[in-house]
Amino acid sequence: MIHKSPDNAIPTVGRSSDALRGLRNAVPIMIGFVPFALVLGAQASAKGFTLAEVPLLTGLNFAGGSEFAAIGLWTSPPHLLLLVGVTLLVNSRHVLMGAALAPYLRRFSRHRALVMLAFMCDETWALALADAKKRKTVGIEPALSLGYYAGVSAGLYLTWVIFTGLGAALGPILGDVTRYGFDMAFPAVFLVLLRGMWAGFRRSRPWLVSLVVAGLTYLLIPGAWYVPAGALSGIVSAWVWARA
Amino acid sequence: MGLGTGMTVHPMTLLAIISMACATFLTRATGYMVLGNRELSPRMREVLDAAPGCVLISVIAPHFVSGHPADLLAMALTILAAMRFSLLPTVIIGIASAGILRAIF
Repeated sequence: MIHKSPDNAIPTVGRSSDALRGLRNAVPIMIGFVPFALVLGAQASAKGFTLAEVPLLTGLNFAGGSEFAAIGLWTSPPHLLLLVGVTLLVNSRHVLMGAALAPYLRRFSRHRALVMLAFMCDETWALALADAKKRKTVGIEPALSLGYYAGVSAGLYLTWVIFTGLGAALGPILGDVTRYGFDMAFPAVFLVLLRGMWAGFRRSRPWLVSLVVAGLTYLLIPGAWYVPAGALSGIVSAWVWARA
Repeated sequence: MGLGTGMTVHPMTLLAIISMACATFLTRATGYMVLGNRELSPRMREVLDAAPGCVLISVIAPHFVSGHPADLLAMALTILAAMRFSLLPTVIIGIASAGILRAIF
């Protein structure tokens, strides 16, 4: 999901006004979160999640891609190793994002930096980094504003948790109406997410490897092994292609 | 479903949620804790860029190799929709095409 920041004003200094500025910049993204959150909540409830379990998942984990993947692979009882492995793989990009943010986090205590990182999602990261770079060029210290980061995070976090919960509450009502094609909602969501990650054919060749290997594994081997098989073969191919 | 069952948290579900949350936090903290002072190699960068897409497409791979013509056709329509539209229209087109095509075939 790529969103353009609407706020081109010179970044301010005060912490509370920074927080308001962050919240204001987050509004378009919050609106964009709503349909994803409702769909996730409804799908989770279709998989047997209770009204309490959905906000627990989205509030503690707070990483949408891995939550969609987990609901898609959910069984009763859940397959812990598979869920953790897929979560690590889907969220592996956070490692890169955290590394990019690290120079700006050095002036905060380790404890505070880790609390900030706990709320880091793609959009918070992108907005905060853009804001920090802007403040750096005008010479405002510290470049990364805690207030701005908190404002963006609060808006996105609350929107995600509240609307996934609402989706779970509405899920049972929607479930019966849409039952016959409802399973197609998953690939639909994933295809939209994939389009957002698309960076040209060359960069996306590993996806094709994953698709072929996962498809074959699914046809030949029972169980959910097609996910790690497809994901790992794609990642290995990315590693090999990156050298060329 | 009454409010009583809605507020239930199953122990295994809770364990799965906490395990996932720990895994996610690990990915968020690692870049800062380990790689903070080092440069990530361009190769590692490319691999990390490709990884989320590899996982997502693997999860939905069964839909690409379905034995039912109606499902394959619905999937093709959903892919076309995803290339053009935002999330909600794509989901609606996906659900509607699957529902209608399964009723026809």
